[in-house]
Amino acid sequence: MKIAKYPFAVFSAALFTVMLITPISSISNLLWLNSVDMPVGIISSLEVLLFDFQRLGILLYGVVIIGFAIAFSFTAVLINFTNISSKYLYALAGAVSIGAAMYLMVELLFESELLGGNRTFVGKVLHWIAGFFGGYFYYSLISKNKNYTFIVRFFGILYAYLILGFVLNWVFTPESAAADYGFVLKDLNDNAQNALIRDFTSFFISTFIFTILGVITLNPTWFLAAGIIYYGAAVFNLYAIFIHGTNYNQIYIGEIILGSWPTIIAFAILYFKKNE
Amino acid sequence: MKLYLPAFLFLFSVHLSSEYKFETVLDNLDDAWSFVFLSEDKVLFTEMPGKLKIASLKDKSITNVTNIPEVAYSSQGGLSEVVLDPDFNSNNKIYMSYSANTDNNKITLFLSTAELVNDKLVNSKVIFKAVASRRSPAHMGAKISFLDDGTLILTSGDGYDHREKAQKLDNHFGKIIRINTDGSIPQDNPFISNQNALPEIYSYGHRNMQGLLVTSDGLIYEHEHGPKGGDELNIIKPALNYGWPAITYGIDYSGAVISPFTQKDGMEQPLLYWDPSIAPSDMIYYEKDLYPEFKNTFLITALVSRDVKQVVFENNEIRQKSLFSDLGFRLRNIQDSPNGYIYILTDGPGNKLIKVIPKK
Repeated sequence: MKIAKYPFAVFSAALFTVMLITPISSISNLLWLNSVDMPVGIISSLEVLLFDFQRLGILLYGVVIIGFAIAFSFTAVLINFTNISSKYLYALAGAVSIGAAMYLMVELLFESELLGGNRTFVGKVLHWIAGFFGGYFYYSLISKNKNYTFIVRFFGILYAYLILGFVLNWVFTPESAAADYGFVLKDLNDNAQNALIRDFTSFFISTFIFTILGVITLNPTWFLAAGIIYYGAAVFNLYAIFIHGTNYNQIYIGEIILGSWPTIIAFAILYFKKNE
Repeated sequence: MKLYLPAFLFLFSVHLSSEYKFETVLDNLDDAWSFVFLSEDKVLFTEMPGKLKIASLKDKSITNVTNIPEVAYSSQGGLSEVVLDPDFNSNNKIYMSYSANTDNNKITLFLSTAELVNDKLVNSKVIFKAVASRRSPAHMGAKISFLDDGTLILTSGDGYDHREKAQKLDNHFGKIIRINTDGSIPQDNPFISNQNALPEIYSYGHRNMQGLLVTSDGLIYEHEHGPKGGDELNIIKPALNYGWPAITYGIDYSGAVISPFTQKDGMEQPLLYWDPSIAPSDMIYYEKDLYPEFKNTFLITALVSRDVKQVVFENNEIRQKSLFSDLGFRLRNIQDSPNGYIYILTDGPGNKLIKVIPKK
């Protein structure tokens, strides 16, 4: 566990930093929309903030993990040669790695500023500050002993983060979400639209909430409940194909993965609790 | 053997589809971007690195045109569109759009005119330089067309990093420009009396416009690359705001929300939008008789969907059909020859010009 805590601390700090970074772009965008008299309100703001956290965040997550892994490894060596407090060194390393990542994304990859929030000087400074807090968070994670709950919670949060994408799609953009499953929403009658939106939204929100409750309480039942729902979807996907003659739909593979993930977490909790 | 070799090569350059034959008439071009017919057997075409060439479709010979303006070739920039003056037969004038460096070492969109005389450009003149400087040539637009009154319209893209400027009238990012062919500004331009607007602006709120044409009834049709899921086909009218990026049907490539809004009073809705994106790259309105099935329909080349979309407006309905997808190439440009044959240019370095031959 002692060794495992370092990579998981990087993963966790990166997710925490992404949570700080994405609102910079979202808020700068909302401010601009407001400046051109678009009717920005609470719901539209939430839509932008949450979608950006989920969709933009997933892209950034990989970048931040790589940046942090390099920066924190280097810092771990540097600590031996300096008297500066470790917590400030890691925080500084976080800020530098975010700054470097943002710069290299433009210069080496895209030739354009992919992050709207990073186009201004103020935005850039805010990104560095987010990296600073990310580094500080990393230090706080590695400076204490961790048990299995740290890793279990990380996987639970990551799972919820992925499910959040489905939730947001169905809550804010059901037409686009329905299209992913082959429905043209506006072609359905009102009752069918209602049924589709309420059932799918409920399906994804329930599993999202189960997972969050599992992360908070570490009660394996919550994770198992989420797993059963997705296993059920996979089983009845195959049932629809082979019994009712629908087209082959390989989405059952995704459903098995989404079922297995929380189920493994549930059994891991049971195993560790038994051996405690 | 000498006799058989050309025939052998020719056989390999002809693709067969159920309804059409595809004949590769030019191959291994250096990122050719647009072309125009000088006659049935002769095309003038641009290559993005900054070459303007004349190709004979009979013997496949290619001649370099000299005295070309210097261009900034990288990313989406370079020598882009070439069009002939409506009176080309009498004045030999052509117009070229391209990206080039500005005095402050940034890049912007230029429009030049020149006379094409014996494979050489003479009397070259820059007639428009966009107030749209950027560090890298992204989203240039660069499509040219002529209105019935003899004025010229040009698309100037939003530069990607400058998308918000498409809503401001003090720059040329995300605008359609209207000027006279000598570069002067028509006095009936919609913002000419607006002190806070650049007088060349005809319409605004656009993204990266890659298709522009004027039909015989005088309507201007334009299509533009949207973000992920927001490519649009619009009818352009003076002074109107087409909404980008305040309203859009797409999301950013990064996954970020560009705007949660798809409509607003005072901002135009597209005739049609594509979700998922097809990346429309050029279009013609086919009015000739060689392909009766295409007559009076739009043919739009696409980069991502690798086909030509036939778009038909009929009884307030829009129908679409995918054509030529068996070619399998990203398609960059489409033109019809004086005799009515359709030619399609594929995209990227090493690209081809393909003639579509009806089987019947």
